[in-house]
Amino acid sequence: MLPFIELVKKEIYRFMSIWVQTIFGPVTTAVLYQLIFGEKLSLISTGIPGVAYATFLIPGLIMMQVLLNAFGNGSSSLIQSKYTGNIIFILMAPISPLAIYMAFLVSSIVRGIVVGVAVTIGIAAFGIALPKAIFALLYFLIFGAAITGGLGLIAGILSEKFDQLAGFQSFVIVPLIYLAGIFFNPHSFSGIWQVLAMLDPFLYIVDGFRYGFIAHADYNIGFGAFFVGVCAISVNLVGYWLIKRGIRIKK
Amino acid sequence: MNVLEIKKVSKYYGQFNALSDVSFNISQGDFVGLLGVNGAGKTTLISSIAGINSFTGQIKVMGHDVITDVVRAKRNLGVVPQELAYDPFLTVYQTLKFQAGLYGVRHDKKWLDEVIEGMHLTDKIDTNTRGLSGGMKRRLMVAQALVHRPPVIILDEPTAGVDVEIRKSLWKFIKTLHNAGHTILLTTHYLEEVEQVCNKIVMIDKGRILAQSSTADLMKQAHDLPTTVRIETMGGNFAPGLKDKVLNQDGNVFTLRLNNSDELLLILNTLKQANVNFGDININRPSLEDVFINCLHHGIGSGS
Repeated sequence: MLPFIELVKKEIYRFMSIWVQTIFGPVTTAVLYQLIFGEKLSLISTGIPGVAYATFLIPGLIMMQVLLNAFGNGSSSLIQSKYTGNIIFILMAPISPLAIYMAFLVSSIVRGIVVGVAVTIGIAAFGIALPKAIFALLYFLIFGAAITGGLGLIAGILSEKFDQLAGFQSFVIVPLIYLAGIFFNPHSFSGIWQVLAMLDPFLYIVDGFRYGFIAHADYNIGFGAFFVGVCAISVNLVGYWLIKRGIRIKK
Repeated sequence: MNVLEIKKVSKYYGQFNALSDVSFNISQGDFVGLLGVNGAGKTTLISSIAGINSFTGQIKVMGHDVITDVVRAKRNLGVVPQELAYDPFLTVYQTLKFQAGLYGVRHDKKWLDEVIEGMHLTDKIDTNTRGLSGGMKRRLMVAQALVHRPPVIILDEPTAGVDVEIRKSLWKFIKTLHNAGHTILLTTHYLEEVEQVCNKIVMIDKGRILAQSSTADLMKQAHDLPTTVRIETMGGNFAPGLKDKVLNQDGNVFTLRLNNSDELLLILNTLKQANVNFGDININRPSLEDVFINCLHHGIGSGS
């Protein structure tokens, strides 16, 4: 258990030691989004009684940064470790692949949560609702971070160069996040985009997380929780399998 | 007791056969030099022992199979990899504390301090690893391999890129570890030091074991190799009477076989009679290096 705890501690220390980039950066981005969209579009009706556009938007902006940062944590940590070669010290240590995987996953989820809290504090002044369904909020926060955390680990394991990682982020993570109904309810998408949006697990994460704040969901919250849970487990089983097989890590 | 057992280990990278049927044992207290030219398979073998390579065959560390009983095998092993590696987010001390944590040992400050001192890193403990020179990074890696006091220590070229003075103190520290009961396997290109400290030598070439024997036995082979004298003449003809003694000629540098010390006088006299002026003269006793080169070219046990 000690090696697992040490690895989690070191991974958390890693992102905390560069907090300007890892925590303050996302807060700044979220506040800018809020200034541009939240303020300028504040007259738009959300269609939800008693919920102003800012109140609708803020949970989405928080979750956006949670998802991006949980992804960024494992992926950049792994690729940097491969680049500087220090991953060898973890591979040579008496730690099971499961403990290695879980340590990286847990620290990615922690990064997501820390960033989420920081963004919430930074953006709260614009009109955040007090959480109405705390259990749903925590469930979608943790499982959402677990999905992108796991995707980040997979990307970090498979990438050999930084540009491959950037590609994974640009072509997989960012589209999934933009289709997730952060700014508008995706009912307003048409045709194929709506179908794609409906298959996007991030849609249910954002919807469920927003439900935690305003107690209103656009989709069935039970189905969303189930779908998100299944995605989180599947993604992380793939990630664990890659670590266990040592693909692109061991020779 | 065998602390390290290597049985029929083979490794392919695609079509390339990096290790082929390698087998040898290392006993408690051995100090083993693993010798081979670049690309011979030394690092592949070490990576296999360290559990970061897949391979066929069997490797056991202190009786624990490195594949089926991996955690216990790794706990008994401290490996210094050849490639320089460091965590740029940590200082020297944080690196060592983290390493201790990875091996599940609550940090033992007294031992850490001893290791840090042995590696001449005392004044660098709060320096970020990015700020270390190549030689310091290498020493930090040696320190990392020692934090959990492993009974078996493997060092893959620990003295590469380290200056003469530090190299000497590094060898001294490794010898201290050996005296304290640690079993040591190392690779290096400094054969003179291997000859002095290792009690056993394993030579590999193209992934195969070329020789494995005690250093003493291997050095007996050195006695079978000729002592030579290297004479650099000032030009002109060489003494015709010495023709059958010449093993090698490179310009005006002649290498002659020297069967005994009396012959040296004979050679010098012959040169004088033939009016050959010479500048430099060197006597070369066969060393481990000559045995090694001889093994590479002619196989084990052959004379010159």
